[in-house]
Amino acid sequence: MINRRHVLIGGSALAAGSVLSAPMVRAQGKPKVVVIGGGAGGATAAKYIAKDSKGEIEVTLIEPKEAYTTCFHSNLYLGGFKTFDEITHKYDKLVSSYGIKHVRQWANAIDRDKKQVVLADGSRVAYDRLVVSPGIDLKYDSVAGWGKEHEEVMPHAWQAGPQTQILKKQLDAVKDGQTIVMIAPPNPYRCPPGPYERVSMMAHALKSSGRGKARIIILDPKENFSKQGLFQQAWEKYYPGLVEWLGPKVHDGIKSVDPKTMTVVTGFETYKNCALVNVIPAQRAGKIVIDAGLANQTGFCPINPENMASASDPNIFILGDASIAGDMPKSGFSANSQAKVAALMIRGELTKSRTFPARYANTCWSLVAPDDTVKVGGRYEPKPDKITAAETFLSKLDETPEHRKQVQTENIGWYAGITADMFT
Amino acid sequence: MKIIAAPAIASAAAMFTFGALAQDKPKPKGDVAFGEYLSSLCVTCHLPSGKAVGGIPPIVAWPEDQFVAVVNSYRWKERDNEVMQTVTAQLSDDEIAALAAYFGGLPNQPEVAK
Ligand SMILES: Cc1cc2nc3c(=O)[nH]c(=O)nc-3n(C[C@H](O)[C@H](O)[C@H](O)COP(=O)(O)OP(=O)(O)OC[C@H]3O[C@@H](n4cnc5c(N)ncnc54)[C@H](O)[C@@H]3O)c2cc1C
Ligand code: HEC
Repeated sequence: MINRRHVLIGGSALAAGSVLSAPMVRAQGKPKVVVIGGGAGGATAAKYIAKDSKGEIEVTLIEPKEAYTTCFHSNLYLGGFKTFDEITHKYDKLVSSYGIKHVRQWANAIDRDKKQVVLADGSRVAYDRLVVSPGIDLKYDSVAGWGKEHEEVMPHAWQAGPQTQILKKQLDAVKDGQTIVMIAPPNPYRCPPGPYERVSMMAHALKSSGRGKARIIILDPKENFSKQGLFQQAWEKYYPGLVEWLGPKVHDGIKSVDPKTMTVVTGFETYKNCALVNVIPAQRAGKIVIDAGLANQTGFCPINPENMASASDPNIFILGDASIAGDMPKSGFSANSQAKVAALMIRGELTKSRTFPARYANTCWSLVAPDDTVKVGGRYEPKPDKITAAETFLSKLDETPEHRKQVQTENIGWYAGITADMFT
Repeated sequence: MKIIAAPAIASAAAMFTFGALAQDKPKPKGDVAFGEYLSSLCVTCHLPSGKAVGGIPPIVAWPEDQFVAVVNSYRWKERDNEVMQTVTAQLSDDEIAALAAYFGGLPNQPEVAK
């Protein structure tokens, strides 16, 4: 059996060699890259490694889902600007166009000594290089009174999918004059402007459907937040009296929630009979990288700024929200950018293809009202201690309506671009 | 024997194709392979099919000189768009030439949903 198997592998390697004239084909077969997680980081990395290695590297994507719903533009779905189908994307083209093997399973563990991934069914997949982009896990114990068993009553919708639909359904059911509470997350968390774009979209949905007397209270554990001046200006302008942001000095601590009575207790006030409570808890990297010992005490993973390799294991690359990417925010754009750097460096290591110094970029657009979008972004360079911002920009408070409308068209175009970049 | 022979045939074929192409079209000034790598910085927003969506214009199949001139106008902050200014700020002349060569050689096929 062993001999026959060797012959078979050798035979297929020879065949591939003569078709593709691949110089790197070795007796033991092609180098293997395994990618855990088919999100913004993982899908991009799998695609670029498979596409650019032109068959020289075998790429396996481990992702249980058949389709991925993006968190990005999930707030536009809440606001009524996109359908759920429009923010959901299948993996089939990654398989048919690039020969990526999609294993529809959860990865349970990484066996770093053997260089293998252990799947939910107990089988193992060997790797030469491993890419892990598992996104975040929620800290279900970070808000007193709330846990996983309450996420359908008080949804987080911070991992897109059914949660996003539950939140939308609850928002649609809010009646005029009722109260919505959002508990915002502490740093660091995925998508710094995300909670505040969400509030803007909820306010728009309420106001545009004759429910302008409802109110949204944001209880924030942070003293300040991303694009704060821009968001607060927009809330004053478009939704006066509808949105109220309370920092820790005002609410004096988020004490507890009670999902049975829809109550939220702070040091300052008790909000009873809320129509909707959106709990966005504290976050850490996906469990798999924490179990593998790749994270530090912050709950996220230190990386080498030159190539996104784990600071503690050069065969493992950690992308996206799970990584500590210095000045880069945890965003889909960042994860996609990091994935391209890692893909280039991994190909260089495995097939000796040309590599170039890493370049990273990010832009996050936030829709604050129909045709009014603000943006923040920058480009980033590897420095010895961390990925460092080289140049950044932020929308200004006094931009014209025409300009803001133009910026929204960029946001729409970018979404088409990044999702095509990830999935086609 | 086979494994030695195969690359030789493949590279002969590649030279042949290249020769045929060179007659149809002038050789690009920039390094196309380098441009393909750098293009990953651009296709987060610009669709490689040449389809325009929203405020992101198509950038494929342009004459190289025109492409270089427009990209330089963002790099030198003559045209103002923050995302384009930021993404082009660190590009060198060679890199812009490489991008012009790569994108210039892509067919414009906006009907492909890519
Ligand atoms: C409301 C909201 C709005 C946002 N808006 C924007 C925006 O406008 N622009 C932007 O750039 N970003 C935005 N983001 C942030 C963006 O969604 C994330 O930063 C991005 O998805 C991170 O990519 P990732 O690859 O790290 O993780 P993810 O995209 O979450 O992908 C992780 C994948 O890994 C899989 N996975 C995890 N563990 C395992 C395992 N053990 N085995 C197998 N599979 C596993 C999961 O199923 C998942 O599909 C937003 C986020 C939210 C919540
Ligand atoms: C974050 C999104 C984004 C990225 C990334 C991006 N662009 Fe652009 N690009 C835009 C937008 C938006 C415009 C329209 C700007 C304007 O109105 O002047 C544009 C315009 C252009 C134009 C002018 C098109 C025309 O018809 O005038 C060129 C050329 C161009 N980009 C090239 C590039 C190249 C090359 C890269 C990669 C190095 C790149 N872009 C990366 C968003 C982006």
